[in-house]
Amino acid sequence: MSEDRILLELKSVTKSFGSVTVLEDINLAVHDGEFITILGPSGSGKTTILRMIGGFTAPSGGEILLDDGDITAVPINRRPFNTVFQDYALFPHLTVARNVGYGLTVRGVPQGERRRRVAEALDLVQLGDLADRYPAQLSGGQRQRVALARAIICEPRLILLDEPLAALDVELRKQMQLFLKKIQREIKTTFLFVTHDQEEAIAMADRICVMNFGRVLQIGSPHEVYYRPSSEFVARFFGDNNLIQGRLADGDRTRRRIDTPIGPLVCAVDGQPEVAGAPAGRQAFAVFRPETVAVGRGGAAENACMGDVMAVGFGGATTLTEVALSTANGPIGIRVKTTSRVDGAQVTSGDRVVLNWSAEDCRLVLA
Amino acid sequence: MRRRVAGLPLDVTAAGTWRSAVAVVAYAVPIGFILVPLTSFLVYSFFWVEGGQMRFSLTLLNYQRFFTDDIFLPVFWRTLFLCLKVAGLAIGFGYPVAYLLAGLEGRKKYSFAMLLVVPLLMSYVIKIYAIRSILGGNGFLNQALLALGLIDQPLTFFVFNLNAVLLTLTALLIPFAILPIFLSLERIPRSLLEASADLGASSAQTFVKVILPLSLPGLVAAGTFVFVLAIGDFLTPQMVGGQSGFTFGRIIYSQFGMAFNWPFGAALSVVLAAVVVGAIAAGALFGNRRDEQR
Repeated sequence: MSEDRILLELKSVTKSFGSVTVLEDINLAVHDGEFITILGPSGSGKTTILRMIGGFTAPSGGEILLDDGDITAVPINRRPFNTVFQDYALFPHLTVARNVGYGLTVRGVPQGERRRRVAEALDLVQLGDLADRYPAQLSGGQRQRVALARAIICEPRLILLDEPLAALDVELRKQMQLFLKKIQREIKTTFLFVTHDQEEAIAMADRICVMNFGRVLQIGSPHEVYYRPSSEFVARFFGDNNLIQGRLADGDRTRRRIDTPIGPLVCAVDGQPEVAGAPAGRQAFAVFRPETVAVGRGGAAENACMGDVMAVGFGGATTLTEVALSTANGPIGIRVKTTSRVDGAQVTSGDRVVLNWSAEDCRLVLA
Repeated sequence: MRRRVAGLPLDVTAAGTWRSAVAVVAYAVPIGFILVPLTSFLVYSFFWVEGGQMRFSLTLLNYQRFFTDDIFLPVFWRTLFLCLKVAGLAIGFGYPVAYLLAGLEGRKKYSFAMLLVVPLLMSYVIKIYAIRSILGGNGFLNQALLALGLIDQPLTFFVFNLNAVLLTLTALLIPFAILPIFLSLERIPRSLLEASADLGASSAQTFVKVILPLSLPGLVAAGTFVFVLAIGDFLTPQMVGGQSGFTFGRIIYSQFGMAFNWPFGAALSVVLAAVVVGAIAAGALFGNRRDEQR
């Protein structure tokens, strides 16, 4: 399994329904064997991408390549992909075993081999004892696993998953996330997973493709899109982030200063040529995660400021502290996330505290 | 239970009184206008007629006559068979129409569905006359075939005989076949068809393995509707059947009209009612069996 070989590629793909453009110039390469997640709010076009890859909708422009061959016009039933649908789409009139074996039946696989492979697939998803049930007699999680078994049994090159966990409750969802990851590693098949849930994307994906308004905003590892967002939308999408607007000042290829109402901040810009090269005076945001801010310790950190604690929220493993920094145009809030301690919070409301964070933890996105 | 669903703590006794009052009215109407005449028919079927006079003593003679006389049973079986053929034809012609209809987009779909309902609002007699003008010896169909040079003289196999009854009943009842099939096709989630194609099935395979089995309840309902409506019909065979197109409905009709033997007519009606109830029960049984899988 070479992670970098490109299995599937979307080149300048567009989609419009009448005068409404839902996808604009999508370029996306899916690597062989990876777990790639397309993440975006509803209406971002992520499901449309999945449906175009699956062959359910034709793109209005551009091409889809599989192993460098154009498959844009290949019909659904000839594409070596299988889909796990959002509503599972199990056939209500067929038993679990027949649902799972459907792909083999229509391909004319002989009964003996079919039985063996159905049993294998059901064992893989741990449903061997439910083979003779009908979908209506199963729980949501079980249906989910039948849908998965049905998709993997044909040994597709790529499995498309359209928000398959959206209908499950939180606990089951966490279990299924781990389960899907485990299966994906076992069968060594490429998974393309569509979701609107950031945590789910981070928990499962090798790479995340963040989308909004029919455009791809950023593609990268979960760590990259989380800590090094390339746009304001991505920075805000992964919840709780601190964004402070200001004007770009001087800098070089690795560091750049930004003048903000709370004072000048130094931010790392390596790997962001468009920010490093932006003219001085340009509006931008300094972005830093709440967990990278330290409270009360003066130190080597490049960025420091003083503020008043407004609220302390105990959230189990972590504690979220709101600190207000006064500026000429009213206070600006900064969120600080610290590991909770058994003897209670270090600070309380009304305390005056010093906040520090390093330039490495502070990124810039253009406004 | 129902009271709790409403979520309001109703005054149980007052609501109960009202409820039973409404229930009495609601049930009284069907009982009064349907059950009572049916029962009186059932009772009538055990009376008999002698010298044009009704005898009000109970007898099984009417039923005995039906089962032993050489005339009635053959017509009965022939009519059953005819109506099965009508149901089969109506499904055969109705299914493709329903299928095309269900495949249409949004507004177009329901406009066309409405068009199918329109003939149901027209007078039955007018429709039969219209079909008669198509099927007759000098009817439109024969004239057209002659004009096209496909035949030399008018065809007679569909003129005033059982075939004419078959064709006319089918044409009249086809909307009753299309609508339940259309509704059952409508209920099939699109994602199932996509899943089938996604798993490698061709359109034909998807039809045979997914669409047809899932529309089977609608198909059975369609067959039951058409069969029941066809077997109770006496007007159509009367008008297009001629001498040879004699059906069970016409026999019953003649008992009340020409023969003036109401008890025997009632007995034949009871037999017919039993067939109808049997057909509906069979259809419902099938529907329930399928529902258990859902």
